[in-house]
Amino acid sequence: MTLEVIAFWTFAVLLVGAGLAVVIGRNLFHSVLWLALALVSTAGIFLTLDAEFIAAVQVLLYAGGVVTVVVFAIVVTERLVGERISQTSRHLAAGGIVAAGVLILLLRGITHAGIALPRPPLEGDLTRQLGTSLLTRYVLPFELLAVLLLVGLLAASYFARPEE
Amino acid sequence: MTMDPVTLVLVALLLPAASALVIGVMPPLRRAGRTAAWFSIACIAASLTSAILAWRAFHGDGAGEPIRAAWSWLPSAHGPFATVGVLVDSTSTTMLLLVTLVATLVQIYSTCYLSDEPSPALGRYYGLQSLFAFSMMGVVIAPNLLQLFICWELVGVCSCLLIGFWYRKPEAARAALKAFWTTKLGDVGLLIGIVLLQRATGTFDLVELRHLAEVQQIPLAGLSIITFCLYMGAAGKSAQFPLHVWLPDAMEGPTPVSALIHAATMVTAGVYLLVRTDWLFALTPNVLAIVCWNGAFTALLAATLACVQTDIKRVLAYSTVSQLGYMMAAIGAGFASCGFFHLLTHGVFKALLFLGAGAVIHAVGSNDVADMGGLAKKMPQTAIVFLIGTLSLAGIPLFAGYASKEAVLGSVWVGGFHIPFFLLLFSAFLTAFYMFRVVFLAFFGASDIGHRTSDIDRAAPGDSHDTAHHAHGHAHDPSHLHDAPLPMTGPLWVLGLIALGIGLYFTVRPPDHPEFEAVRWLSPAAIGMGLGGILLAYLTYQREAISADALASAFAPIRTAALHKFWLDDIYVGLYRHVLLAFSRAIGWIDRYLVDGVLNVISAWTLDGGDRLRRMQTGKVQDYVWAVGLGLLALMAWIGVTW
Amino acid sequence: MPLQAYLTLAAVVFCLGLFGTVTRRNTVGILLGIELMLNAVNINFVAFSRFHGNDAGMIFTLFAICITVAEVALGLAIVILLFRTRKTATADHVDWLKG
Repeated sequence: MTLEVIAFWTFAVLLVGAGLAVVIGRNLFHSVLWLALALVSTAGIFLTLDAEFIAAVQVLLYAGGVVTVVVFAIVVTERLVGERISQTSRHLAAGGIVAAGVLILLLRGITHAGIALPRPPLEGDLTRQLGTSLLTRYVLPFELLAVLLLVGLLAASYFARPEE
Repeated sequence: MTMDPVTLVLVALLLPAASALVIGVMPPLRRAGRTAAWFSIACIAASLTSAILAWRAFHGDGAGEPIRAAWSWLPSAHGPFATVGVLVDSTSTTMLLLVTLVATLVQIYSTCYLSDEPSPALGRYYGLQSLFAFSMMGVVIAPNLLQLFICWELVGVCSCLLIGFWYRKPEAARAALKAFWTTKLGDVGLLIGIVLLQRATGTFDLVELRHLAEVQQIPLAGLSIITFCLYMGAAGKSAQFPLHVWLPDAMEGPTPVSALIHAATMVTAGVYLLVRTDWLFALTPNVLAIVCWNGAFTALLAATLACVQTDIKRVLAYSTVSQLGYMMAAIGAGFASCGFFHLLTHGVFKALLFLGAGAVIHAVGSNDVADMGGLAKKMPQTAIVFLIGTLSLAGIPLFAGYASKEAVLGSVWVGGFHIPFFLLLFSAFLTAFYMFRVVFLAFFGASDIGHRTSDIDRAAPGDSHDTAHHAHGHAHDPSHLHDAPLPMTGPLWVLGLIALGIGLYFTVRPPDHPEFEAVRWLSPAAIGMGLGGILLAYLTYQREAISADALASAFAPIRTAALHKFWLDDIYVGLYRHVLLAFSRAIGWIDRYLVDGVLNVISAWTLDGGDRLRRMQTGKVQDYVWAVGLGLLALMAWIGVTW
Repeated sequence: MPLQAYLTLAAVVFCLGLFGTVTRRNTVGILLGIELMLNAVNINFVAFSRFHGNDAGMIFTLFAICITVAEVALGLAIVILLFRTRKTATADHVDWLKG
């Protein structure tokens, strides 16, 4: 039982449990908090994969930014308590069947695909590598991303403008 | 003249066509009326000249082999499927002569008879006359059955248009349509016959078919049906029972039209067809027997009907039906040449009679014999030519009809059809009787126009009324009666002299039929019948030795039946209303409720299905996401996830 | 841990997210489900990237996270706008594209 295995399983259980709580929870605000936990667990998974930078970004942006924004949105749209998952059996059963089906097929695919790769050893500083690629090979998407964020910012502020 | 007969025939054929085309295409010419008339007359007269030259060219050194000139028309894999052209032989050149002669005379006559028609109508009349001449000649010289059929139909159309010339009058319009539809009924048979024949033998061409018949190459199975179908077409056009009902009503047309169409040309087309194909009919003697019996029966039926008519044109119409029956009987007996001979003589003297009747109607202003009387003194020329015509019709020696009628009677007897022979003999008696009844009532006797009471009920249904036009401007007073002007009397004299000439020629030089000569009592019997009829008419109507009323009441049941035209028209109307229309209603119901119903049900289901499928579009985003998930599931399952 | 473990984990989280997206009534709840799905995808990318030794996967993950952020911002803007005009945040009430 190496540390790695324990770490993986801890984070995995946390992730799945939090995800379950997100989708089944009745209280929307509680769902958001469970989501935050799920996102942090994901960051932990990234750490087990030696992707520290990604983990950091995950925590910063997702757990920090997205969750905050969602909370604000909930506050604005009220209706916190009393909101229930759709109780019409059509929705639950249908969604459950489709989700379960997809899961089964995916798992089948994973196990039959025969992609048993060994983990290669780390070479050098991953973060440094990422930074370099980002500004050399992937500089164009990088810049476009900036544009995208600008556009998103403008659009969001336009959408949410005060009524006149 | 050494001109090629084919060219001459083509010239004769195409001149009236050109005239019709020009008159039809140029409205100013048509509206000019008299100009169109003279143009048409010029063309038909030139056509007549060409026909005479063609006849002489063909018969110049003894009648030779038939000449066929044909140009390919409808192509097919093994040579042309159909051709157009001309077939020049003895029959066609002779018939061409008759057609062009009568057409020319009628057109000249019409300039005077229709003088008070408005000009545009006159132009239309001459256009139609030219077109009719062309189409009739097309039938005459057709080298194959397909071209014959096309021209045949064109003849039917032209006759309908000419009969219904005064189309504003409802009786005329109805008569025109009746003529068209009754002949159309026969034409269906003709078309079926032609098609079946082509399928059996592979050709439409008359020369080839004749050759096949001579070498026994035509399959005999089903040939009776083919010939019977061809006869059906002929029976329609030539007014054989039961398709004769259109001819009396067709008297609604102008009298010159009747002279052309119902004496010499259109009604003879059926007889001509049978003469043309007699070698085919010779292979099916049972059909020929039908032709002969039906011909004799028609002759007697029409003669009976003619005895009770008061309208002079109707008498002539029934007389035409009767004589057509004679021609058909001769053909049915197997002697087509005798039938053709009678066709030619009948064409001349019947046209003469019609034109003469026209002159009388023009002068008196009425068709009814009761309105006429003593016209011989006022209209001597008309009386003379009319008498020539009547004597020809009665079959008296020295006049045109004598030799041909004898030939017909002889052929029927020698052909072995004894009962039809006696029917025809009795019809000859009646023919003489009713014609001379008309002569005595109209031309002789007391001249009390308008006062004379008819010996017959005026309630004979359906008298023709082309008098309406001629009552205008013609007073009914006796002072107005005189012989018609030259354009009318000219043709009358021409025809009269031809009739006389033919009669004299054949009395001096009777046609060579040794088998008929063997029947010694034939000629006296025929002449006796004719004279007997004349005598009876004389005694009844001129001398009044026999009371007409007593005669009428002696045959009362037949008379009543004849006055109702033996209820044939009523049968037709009943068939139409209760059989045909009922059938149409049934078909209409099926169409509306079954055929349309199926479509309506399918469309209703489609709409309903669409409505239901529409509910899939709930508008809710989650349902769409779910659908995407389902699609993903399906896709993965299909791929089998066996990467 | 072998690669399959990471992939399996990602698959489970993805399907949880799918279930949430389809069944949640509240619009924000739907967005939470979408977040889970995107997360699962990111795990996949990083796992593959690590096991292939290729950093392209991680780059893509970075981009995915950034774009997700933008998307969430806009999505919530729409939710707020929707709430403002129609006074509802229930997805079932937004059915004006119904056929």
